[in-house]
Amino acid sequence: MKSAIIFGALASWSLLSAAPDAASGPQVVLSDRAASRLLDQASWGPTPAAIQEVQEKGIAGWLNQQFQLNTSDIPDQLLLDSTGKSNNDVTPVQRAFIQNAVTGADQLRQRVAFALSEIWVVSNVSVRPAYAFPPYWRLFRDNAFGNYRDLMKAVTLNPAMGAYLNLANNNKGVPAKGTAANENYAREMMQLFTVGLTQLNLDGSPALDSSGKAIPTYTQAQVTDMARALTGWTYAAAPNAASKVNNPAYYFGQMIPSETEHDTGSKIIIGNTAVPAGQTAEQDLDFVLNTLMAQPTIAPFVSRQLIQHLVTSNPSSAYIARVAGVFQNNGQGVSGDMMAVITAILTDPEARAADNPNLPPNPGFGHLREPLLFVTNLLRGLNAALTSTSAVYNLGSQLGQNLFAPSSVFSYFSPMYQMENGTPAPEFQIYSTQTAASRANIVNAAIFGTLDKNTKLDYSEFLPFASDTASLLDHIAYVFLHHSMSLELQQAATTAVNAATDAQARVQAALYVVLTSSEYQVIQ
Amino acid sequence: MFSRRGFIRIGSASVGTLALRRFGLMPALAQSGPDYRALVCVFLFGGNDSNNTIIPLDDAHYKPYLSARAGLAVPTSAMAQVTDVTGAPYGFHVLLTELASLFTNKELAVVANVGSLVQPVTRAQYQGRQAAVPNNLFSHLDQQQQWQTSVGQGNSPTGWAGRVADYVAAQKMNSSSFPTVLSVAGNVLEGIGANTTEIAVNPGGSLALAGFSSSAASQARLNALTNLLNFNSGVSLVQAANQTLSMSMSDAKALAGALSQATALKTQFPKTSLGAQLEQVAQIIQVQSALGMSRQIFFCSLGSFDTHTGELNTLNTLYPQVSQALAAFYDATQELGVAQNVTTFTESDFNRTFQPTSGDGSDHAWGGHHLVLGGAVKGGQIFGQFPTFELGGPDDTDTRGRWIPTTSIDQYGATLCSWFGIPDTALPTVFPNLQNFAAAKLRFLG
Repeated sequence: MKSAIIFGALASWSLLSAAPDAASGPQVVLSDRAASRLLDQASWGPTPAAIQEVQEKGIAGWLNQQFQLNTSDIPDQLLLDSTGKSNNDVTPVQRAFIQNAVTGADQLRQRVAFALSEIWVVSNVSVRPAYAFPPYWRLFRDNAFGNYRDLMKAVTLNPAMGAYLNLANNNKGVPAKGTAANENYAREMMQLFTVGLTQLNLDGSPALDSSGKAIPTYTQAQVTDMARALTGWTYAAAPNAASKVNNPAYYFGQMIPSETEHDTGSKIIIGNTAVPAGQTAEQDLDFVLNTLMAQPTIAPFVSRQLIQHLVTSNPSSAYIARVAGVFQNNGQGVSGDMMAVITAILTDPEARAADNPNLPPNPGFGHLREPLLFVTNLLRGLNAALTSTSAVYNLGSQLGQNLFAPSSVFSYFSPMYQMENGTPAPEFQIYSTQTAASRANIVNAAIFGTLDKNTKLDYSEFLPFASDTASLLDHIAYVFLHHSMSLELQQAATTAVNAATDAQARVQAALYVVLTSSEYQVIQ
Repeated sequence: MFSRRGFIRIGSASVGTLALRRFGLMPALAQSGPDYRALVCVFLFGGNDSNNTIIPLDDAHYKPYLSARAGLAVPTSAMAQVTDVTGAPYGFHVLLTELASLFTNKELAVVANVGSLVQPVTRAQYQGRQAAVPNNLFSHLDQQQQWQTSVGQGNSPTGWAGRVADYVAAQKMNSSSFPTVLSVAGNVLEGIGANTTEIAVNPGGSLALAGFSSSAASQARLNALTNLLNFNSGVSLVQAANQTLSMSMSDAKALAGALSQATALKTQFPKTSLGAQLEQVAQIIQVQSALGMSRQIFFCSLGSFDTHTGELNTLNTLYPQVSQALAAFYDATQELGVAQNVTTFTESDFNRTFQPTSGDGSDHAWGGHHLVLGGAVKGGQIFGQFPTFELGGPDDTDTRGRWIPTTSIDQYGATLCSWFGIPDTALPTVFPNLQNFAAAKLRFLG
């Protein structure tokens, strides 16, 4: 569905693709722009093949197909290395992740899974064994389109999370020993994974008390009591090992109850909810998770973050409210239905508004490509041939996003991070003077040098357009810029292309100028 | 909430200013200008359990320490014991041995029980909610920001070092427009001012853009990139990204030019993350004159202090990194002849519960003990007051030993900034809550 570039339009944002005709009904094929915008929100980056696929199926049809796909895996890793020590080499896990992102069919599932893993963080910085990570990652893959409540329990009982935030072997406090239950998981599950620090209205705005102050979601005493409710879990016993009260770290399977270390007293948790005395570890856990799911704040808290990861850093309150409403009730009385939530996020009028090229750009819309999205988009757009020795998994670490190894439970960047004027801009937390230069230098290596000696890039598809600058820019815009390019970028790139001597140099100049531009780095 | 300021800087990197300085209108390349001062922040992310960094060994403290800290208690045999200038006994964690020596040599001071406060608060006031306290106590993110902004209530878009940089810029205390705040640990709110922003550079890293030559084609491509940075697309995030790359490109030239004049340091830094960061800071301090800087603030960090379990083992790996890197850095400032001109200080999210967790760790707490190092520091002394080590006692918020701070970040920072050259009249702008405390400054400097 390519159409010729339009140069010299009066509007500062020219239209490169055919405009959808609103009056012509659903049979009209989606524009390149609409299809690629969806792919930048719902995949690891548009490619000509993917754009055509979306155009053939339509947005609803493509989403429905993606919801059914579950084709990517990260293979299990060995427990021990060749010397008999713990195998702490996560590079095969990182490599498989990138391979899946670049070539896997289940693109939407991977994108959503990754977004969820940026909320429910486990980091290789402190959980070292490589074999902990494939099972942890599969939870997000397999629950990406399931129910949030199921994901909450699955991750809570995942041994990698158990190790990371210390739910594993969190024994009940012993007054005689002067110890108390560890508060780590109780606090961070509330603060980061489910409800945040202050109560929210459905539209994501803070709920205020009668004096106009934000209302905390929980008190310190409730953290302490929730920690007590979550005591009494240990790792599964390794094969051929006898199960003990506190088993040593073992990262396959789920954690198991260790009832003698569960605090069976009554507790008062979030929402001033009384947890009955005498329950088992699992009964208390289910009670806690049900209580969290019943908090009105969870729907806007989770919805807003998923919108930020997929579509825009600063969604309107109405957009948040629409998605959070679906989180609360999918239309059939079910809350936490992720398939419904993801559909609501990606088909919302605010997400789709810019599909119409005749609208002026919304100055507050979009988000900076996080490093991984930049890298995968670059690799997909430049037809990268990954091999078993490719080291492109490592590129993100130059940009503040070392896969499976964020520096803390606060992930690579915070959903709360703001520009000076208060505008949320999470990805900018790791966009510094250093990483901005490093991004440009990764583009330079990809276009002019060797990005990675074991990953072949191929821009031959651009060469046939090389002799005609307008056609060349049109094709680059088709692959990388939703088939739209500002006049200013067209003009800048044209100057650079025309100064280049041969066909290859012209393609290189055009790709460099476009891919280093902030117009490309920010997904609109 | 926290924020960055990627937008406004006062002026732009001016080759002219640098050139004038280089060619002799200013004192040429003195390694330590007479009026050079640098603050170096070492942020211990995750919340350092400073209850085990420095331990008072008088009976009134050490006896309750041994009983209440239970499995986390350090025996005196496993401490680097020191006495302060009054002869009172203290113990540093044994793996902070270099810092203990610096304390004994009066190069390092301890400031006890510092934390985020809006105003002084007692246990009764805290429990009765009768005094303003900072937002979201015991939350990592909030208390990290409070350390960095020195604003406990509400959402400050600027950090205190950034506000200092605003003052430095307004008073033209530096002869170039190179940023006053330089982070070797990524973007950080602390360095963002109302009119200024920080530069971030990786240790040993470069901001230079690769791939350009003097060929016409190459220059045309560079012009294209540069021209686009000035194009206002009207999309705010595009603007912000442009401004960051633009700043990177202009400061890259100044930094690379200055660092090309640096000579290798004789001081050996440990091969650790913090060692590399502080080595980079020392190199930049060496060329401060070439950069045109009289006042600089540096930001370094080390993470993984969130020790909810297995704490003793974790501290055994972290504390040597802190101690060895700080000691090497102090040595480097001596080598450069700027030990009197450089003050290094710690920050951390919060202290940790005095009462252990069941897994031999500790949970999030509040007031903690901090270290200040440098030739200008009144070392070998303890400033502020250690809390009463009693669970549920007068300094505890509850029953787990979350100490209510008795010195505010404002007072700690104001003391540092006053030495740095910020006049008393400007301190309230940098530390808006400072007026709520009887003593604006402690006496560990100046």
